[in-house]
Amino acid sequence: MTTSSSTTPETVRPTAHPAGPATAEDCAIEVGEIFARVFRTLDDWRERIAAAVPDRADLDILVESLVVPALIASADSPATDAPPATESLLIGAGFIAAPQYVNGRDAHFAWWLGPLASNPLLGNTSGASRLDLATRVHTEYLRDFRELEWYAVPEATNRTHVTGPYVDQLCTCDYIITLTMPVRLGERMIGVVGADVYVKRLEQVLLPHFLALPGPVVLVNQSGRVVISTEPTLPAGDILPNRRHPADGFALLPCPGTPFLLATRVATPIVTPVATPAI
Amino acid sequence: MKAQLRPGAREAIFAQLIEAGRAEQVARRLTDAIILGVLTPGERLPSEQELARRFGVALITVREGLVILRDAGLVETRRGRGGGSFVIKADAPHGTLLQARLRGLAQVELSDLAVYFSTIAEGCAERAALRASAADAERLHAWLLHADFSTTAGARTNAGGFYLELAVLSQSARLVREQIRLQAEFGPLLLLGLGDPDTRARVTGLNGRIALAITDGDGQAARTLVADQVRLLGEWLLTMKARIERGGHLDDVIVDDA
Repeated sequence: MTTSSSTTPETVRPTAHPAGPATAEDCAIEVGEIFARVFRTLDDWRERIAAAVPDRADLDILVESLVVPALIASADSPATDAPPATESLLIGAGFIAAPQYVNGRDAHFAWWLGPLASNPLLGNTSGASRLDLATRVHTEYLRDFRELEWYAVPEATNRTHVTGPYVDQLCTCDYIITLTMPVRLGERMIGVVGADVYVKRLEQVLLPHFLALPGPVVLVNQSGRVVISTEPTLPAGDILPNRRHPADGFALLPCPGTPFLLATRVATPIVTPVATPAI
Repeated sequence: MKAQLRPGAREAIFAQLIEAGRAEQVARRLTDAIILGVLTPGERLPSEQELARRFGVALITVREGLVILRDAGLVETRRGRGGGSFVIKADAPHGTLLQARLRGLAQVELSDLAVYFSTIAEGCAERAALRASAADAERLHAWLLHADFSTTAGARTNAGGFYLELAVLSQSARLVREQIRLQAEFGPLLLLGLGDPDTRARVTGLNGRIALAITDGDGQAARTLVADQVRLLGEWLLTMKARIERGGHLDDVIVDDA
């Protein structure tokens, strides 16, 4: 099987078009497109893994050949007229096999991390490195990784799932969004393919467009968790609405194909008439 | 006089203090693991290369660390096939080693350690209360419900896990990393008090109330409760330290009930 032709569509590029998204709606569509590219990559990995049905050793080799190119900055971008690619949007990717699939007792991690440039805890790495759970003793208290959202939800729903943004204490110890997709053989889920989107790099892509809009915008997930914001009183990690920001202060635009919403300020808060209870 | 001191002071800046300190850190981590039974008697340690990789230090640093452990009578090195460094099967309980560890730290260092850990953990808890979604809070309660705090080993693992979860809920990557670093460095020592059933009951009894404060978005309550927990652990350590310094023993309270 040849896997070397892997492109890296999720690579961060400086704005290719001088005229980027002009409206909040355009920005919402752009968010949708960025995630759609990652979903397509995951879908491709899923098909190759399901088709290969490898044993454990082959599985690791296959997954490495699929995901590592997507984690490394693609300096050898084939499109010569395109601006040089900088860094991958993805900080981690791989396949987590169900225990029974690899005849193991625990879930098997074929998971790689991208270059970690500024991580004081895990040290700097210049290339992709494989996740070694033995170096993550602080996660011993997690009884079973299959209980975690990024595994449990695709397993229960048989659908692609987006987890976060959240601080990942397992792989990167950084702020990420995890996309996971179930891999099935017939009726049986043999594991999940996944990719970790680095919030820092997503911000590098989207912030210029958000800042070009006339008013503040806030990208939130379905829990209202802020991912990227041009509203200084709503930094990443906060929840919208909160005590300072009531729900009626913002209008929500769905970002197509994702669980994300783009919140824009409502010019004048709509005061909903409240019926006074008759006493 | 000042001028005369300066060249010496400049030399001191470039002395290899950091590497020397690292070998001691390697030795201390492994010592704590042996004392607390994470590494068991007779167990073979990972290879020197593997240890160097995991600790992120030079091979020579690991070797120096292992020399410290050998000198302390904690490990022995066997040559040849199937060789390596093995945890020594000690006849005496490791309580004596623990006493040595507590003796090695001044009271002022122990109390400062508790202050620092508490400050980080309180901050995590307050932020967690302000930032946790309803689903986050529910997950925390569900995790607590099934986490075992009834044994020493269970309580130590899960108490560390609980503080790490609070850091995760704060949404701060820096706080998560600091929590992990602190636990790696001091966790075994700080959580020693969980070996004492009474302290364990009092400390872990507060977990549910902390989780409730997070559900309620009550940052101040979460902060105060975490401070209470760490204070109990710190006071236990200081009490034991005083007992040891008076010539007493703490085997009875330390011995693992797991």
